[in-house]
Amino acid sequence: MLRFVVRRLLLLVPILVGLSILVFVWVRALPGSPADSLLGERSTPALVKEYEERFGLDEPIYVQYWRYVKTTASFDFGVSSATHRYVTDEIKERFPATVELALAAMLFSVLLGVPLGFLAAKWHGGIFDQASLFVSLIGVSIPVFFLAILLKYLFAVRLGWLPTVGRIDVTSEAKHPTNFYILDAIVTHDLGTLKDVLKHLILPGIALGSIPLAIITRITRAAVLDVQNEDYVRTARAKGLPPLTVDRRHVLRNALLPISTIIGLQTGLLLSGAILTETVFAFPGMGSWLREAIFNRDYPVLQGGILFLALIFVLVNLVVDISYAIINPRIRYS
Amino acid sequence: MSVAELEAAEVQLEAPSGLWRDAFHRLVRNPGAIAGFVFVLVFAIAAIFAPLIATHDPVEQNLLLVANGCCPGPSGDHWFGVDLLGRDLFSRIVYGARYSLLIGVVSVSIGFSVGLVLGAIAGYVGGVVDSAIMRLMDVMLAIPGLLLAIGIVAALGPGLKEVMIAVGLANVPIFARLLRGSVLAQREADFVVAARAVGVRRPTILFSHILPNAISPVIVQGTLAMATAIIDVAGLGFLGIGLQNPDETPEWGSMLTEVNEYLQTAPFLALIPGTAIVVSVLGFNLIGDGLREALDPKLRGR
Repeated sequence: MLRFVVRRLLLLVPILVGLSILVFVWVRALPGSPADSLLGERSTPALVKEYEERFGLDEPIYVQYWRYVKTTASFDFGVSSATHRYVTDEIKERFPATVELALAAMLFSVLLGVPLGFLAAKWHGGIFDQASLFVSLIGVSIPVFFLAILLKYLFAVRLGWLPTVGRIDVTSEAKHPTNFYILDAIVTHDLGTLKDVLKHLILPGIALGSIPLAIITRITRAAVLDVQNEDYVRTARAKGLPPLTVDRRHVLRNALLPISTIIGLQTGLLLSGAILTETVFAFPGMGSWLREAIFNRDYPVLQGGILFLALIFVLVNLVVDISYAIINPRIRYS
Repeated sequence: MSVAELEAAEVQLEAPSGLWRDAFHRLVRNPGAIAGFVFVLVFAIAAIFAPLIATHDPVEQNLLLVANGCCPGPSGDHWFGVDLLGRDLFSRIVYGARYSLLIGVVSVSIGFSVGLVLGAIAGYVGGVVDSAIMRLMDVMLAIPGLLLAIGIVAALGPGLKEVMIAVGLANVPIFARLLRGSVLAQREADFVVAARAVGVRRPTILFSHILPNAISPVIVQGTLAMATAIIDVAGLGFLGIGLQNPDETPEWGSMLTEVNEYLQTAPFLALIPGTAIVVSVLGFNLIGDGLREALDPKLRGR
């Protein structure tokens, strides 16, 4: 097991090096010089010169790259050209919002997708099965932002059940030391705030969770169909175990293996989808932040934000791979 | 050989049935795939014959129409109603099909051809070349697709060509991985070993023997990638990134951007372009699923 983890960690090194080179080259490929890009609209010839000297942009490229690696490794992404705040500080505010949103979406899709897929496989060929296939087909065909608009129209604008925008009621005076609003509300036993924050998460969570829901339903269904005909399942039934026990201990447990990998792969989709979902619901997370950065040509934010999200994506997949190896011993030794 | 086997061999000689012929027969008997073809056909026709089908100029504004508030809904003159600036929504949807389908086809072709070359080389040559190409693909895959496309558009600047390249490049690693796996699986197959033994040159083996046999999963992926490309393009349009004049261009995604405030009074402004996106994407997904089943009948009903 240790060997597997070490090998998997070593595989990270080339990816991180490649990623840093890619982003480094990207910033230099942006229209205007790096100094221009990093200064944004404040750029003047004098400022550019001063900036180039101060940050050593007139030095050889490998010296610049090395300096860039050193600052990035200490999580120093520079200063936003739009707000003049440290990019790292903004990430500290924005990232928890996106984590809560992504977790809500994941929870929604797993808690609904696994039972749906399981039942569809149980009643293979029936109406429920056909319906689940059709719904999951629609689920992967509907753009996240369109579903978000539909949900907002129906449940927020029309029925008025849920809030239309934001992460918390604007009049709320609750303090958020960690910026994880749910966590903060639980720690301070502030039930009112907790309820409010959860209400704000429902619609964006469902919108963002729709594609993973469709995919998880399909994968679960296929996995259960595969496992159902295995010899050990037949044996379990033949020796007279109650059907529910067979389903739980033999079918579902083995069918869940491929689902754990899917969850890792979905993280990327969630992060992409968050840009669109957060835009529709004016949700103050990483996604809406990056969208603003694109419009403001705020290159430090784009550079730091993209690098940070890619890093998160890689780390999540690492954790998923390792936990997959823990659940499924067959992987470790291959 | 028994009599039965001889007869079977004869029957086969009379009706030569290849992978593609069989697949085609299975495909046309799949109602889902047929529905997919119909959807895609409708949009292809709309895209190609847009000037003939559209009832109005898609960018011509008529502020008189919205003088009494936004926005008059569907009517005899304006089948899908008019938008915030009094432009005919039906004509905008018809012209919008051009952008979605054109960008989709070109960007998937870019992703497909670059991915094909990289994946085939990596899989067939192996060694250092393989490692170098695949690590680069890993790095590209580490950046979520839409974010990668946004980054590329930011570097290239806005424009139709730029969006195609951005969405296309974001597709490269997926195709490259798929093809490499496929080529690796074929490399040691008997017919390849045989070709090598009689001295067929390496590029010829790769292009005439391995690729034709490795291509079927890639074609399925290509169809599904069309669906994703349309969604990605609409997403970029919705965010207002990519095309030069997002307000002017009749692009489906960007039509959804400004309707947020008008959801209460004119929900059709969001529903109609959104439905256009869903139906065209659904069409490609249905064809993709149909092709997958047709090429690998074991998957039927999965």
